[in-house]
Amino acid sequence: MAEQIIEIENLVKRYKELVALDHLNLTVTEGEVFGLLGPNGSGKTTAISCILALLQFDKGSVRVLGKEMQPDSYDIKRQIGVVLQNVAVFEELTVQENIDYFCGLYITDKKERKQCVEDAIVFSGLEDFRRFYPKKLSGGLLRRLNIACGIAHKPRLIILDEPTVAVDPQSRNRILEGIQKLNQEGATIIYTSHYMEEVEQICTRIAILDKGRCVAMGTKEELKAMIKTGEKIHLEIWELKPEQLEEIRSLRHVYQVDYREGMLEIRCSGGKHNLVHILDYLARREISFGRVYSELPTLNDVFLEITGKELRDSAE
Amino acid sequence: MFFRLYIYSLKQTSRQKLIMFWSLIFPIILGTLFRAAFGEFLEEEVIFHQIPVAYVAEEGASLAFEETLNLLEEDNGLVKIVRTDGEEAEILLKEEKVEGIFYNRASAAEKGNVSLTVTSQEMSQSILSSILEQYQRVFHTMGNIGRENPAGIEAAVKEIGQQRQYLTEGGITDTPKSVMTDYFYALIAMDCLMGVSMGLQIAINYKANLSNIAVRRVASGTSRFGMLMPDLAARITIQFLCTVCSVCYLTFAMKISLGNKFGLLLLTTLVGSVVGIFMGFFIGAIGTYKESLKEGVCVCCMMLSSFLAGLMVGGMYRFLERYAPIVNRINPASLIVKSLYSLNIYEGYERYTQCMISLLVIAILLGTGAFAMIRRERYASI
Repeated sequence: MAEQIIEIENLVKRYKELVALDHLNLTVTEGEVFGLLGPNGSGKTTAISCILALLQFDKGSVRVLGKEMQPDSYDIKRQIGVVLQNVAVFEELTVQENIDYFCGLYITDKKERKQCVEDAIVFSGLEDFRRFYPKKLSGGLLRRLNIACGIAHKPRLIILDEPTVAVDPQSRNRILEGIQKLNQEGATIIYTSHYMEEVEQICTRIAILDKGRCVAMGTKEELKAMIKTGEKIHLEIWELKPEQLEEIRSLRHVYQVDYREGMLEIRCSGGKHNLVHILDYLARREISFGRVYSELPTLNDVFLEITGKELRDSAE
Repeated sequence: MFFRLYIYSLKQTSRQKLIMFWSLIFPIILGTLFRAAFGEFLEEEVIFHQIPVAYVAEEGASLAFEETLNLLEEDNGLVKIVRTDGEEAEILLKEEKVEGIFYNRASAAEKGNVSLTVTSQEMSQSILSSILEQYQRVFHTMGNIGRENPAGIEAAVKEIGQQRQYLTEGGITDTPKSVMTDYFYALIAMDCLMGVSMGLQIAINYKANLSNIAVRRVASGTSRFGMLMPDLAARITIQFLCTVCSVCYLTFAMKISLGNKFGLLLLTTLVGSVVGIFMGFFIGAIGTYKESLKEGVCVCCMMLSSFLAGLMVGGMYRFLERYAPIVNRINPASLIVKSLYSLNIYEGYERYTQCMISLLVIAILLGTGAFAMIRRERYASI
């Protein structure tokens, strides 16, 4: 059975009146890419700070690699790599110097460190920017440097706190691919984000946070299975009468209909051939339509159903 | 690991243009401006203002001391003697018209003993005290030689002649000294204390609530102490080198005479730099206040300390010595100034050593306090 890398029990953290973490319970198993998904202010970064023993908390316990995490738990910290939400590099050191500096806080052997630094540079695609100072790098490259500094020492557990914020799509894809590669090489990953697509793409297990509480946890399939929505069908219809809307709503498996600005969105709860039934109805009523597409529920739908609000709206 | 982190810390700090400006360029600019402003005052090498001192001699008292005083007054201009009786001398001292009273008594028990009465412990009084000490040393030496080895009296007289020449030619030491040199001592003290910025930066790099780099460092597998030592060593090295550059510039380019004990002068700047760095480190380690606030406090402390040491207003040291002497005992800039002063005024190293010990005690207290604050620190919020 795989080892529990992180065990959080009943964690409570308050900022005066605000409850940032409300009896949070989490476990992360070795080898997984664990996603912490939630809007800004949901408690993701606070949870990470508690895991790293940076923040005092009011109640609960945090165990990392089987031990209680303390500020001086250096034996545990040596096995953790941290990539922060904000870029944390020295402006006065070059790309290579920065990676070497932070790698050297974990690895003292010169030869081994040199190899690790080289691997990190290649991994993050910064070969052509070794002697560049951070201020000369673009936003995407800077983020890659930030990641390289956090993972150069090849840690067993890597914590990435929103590493793709304000990153161009090309760099974002490269970062996500890199994270998957690190996981394949054996690292356990904790990945926080409010971008559900990223979490869906790379995470093997996901916890959805809202107001400091874990509202749902499981694989993405498990999470999607928790909600009523099984399929979303979108149709472009120029004119639709209220009684027709009611008839659509009464179709089998349809439980929610929303018609706005010429777009009809129909949510169906499981069932097969939903689209066929709807198209059949439109043909019978001689209702003309344009584009039609169907999609499976996303994590946003999970969040929406559980919390009553959009993940993206909350995030921005 | 220490050496590698030390080298990186050196690189990182030395590439910070703003810090290098304040620690290296600004003191040089200020020194140049001082030099331009004081101009000929410095070239005249005025030794001191004459120290007014009352001289009360009883009838039948030894003339040797009076003769020594005459020489110091006439040949050297070091003292201005007011010959008077005991009562009037005390009135003069009370009214601060003289800096001290030399009593030359004739009584059997006190014959040959000259005493000095002063009301404060300032520079002038220290000089008068040194004159008396030197006289008494010679007086007793002669007495002993006369009793035990009359044959050596000739050599002893020769020695006295040299001592007298020494007193008349060079004052307390033979270092030429301008009154304006005090400003340059204060400038060197300020330069040392410029290290507060670097010290503050060290602390900020351990404050996870103030800096992203601190989060990464604190979350790393190296202890805070293990990271702190190279940081401190590197910053002290850079601050010390900056101060050495300033001192060399003043000495060799500006031709300011800062004394002959260059090695000890550099030792003073090293200890001063340590205090400056630790002061900033301590301020930075206090609480969870914003970095900008801490920067402001650092600048205020540094400027206030320099002001109290006489950087902006000459005679501040004397003023404080009279009305609040404790300030001079705990103000790092005043201690640096006093140690430099002591080096070039007094023959012995007692006062210099006292100042150095005081500075080291301050540094140890600040450093220990700061480390105690950041050790195992966790935050209520980040």
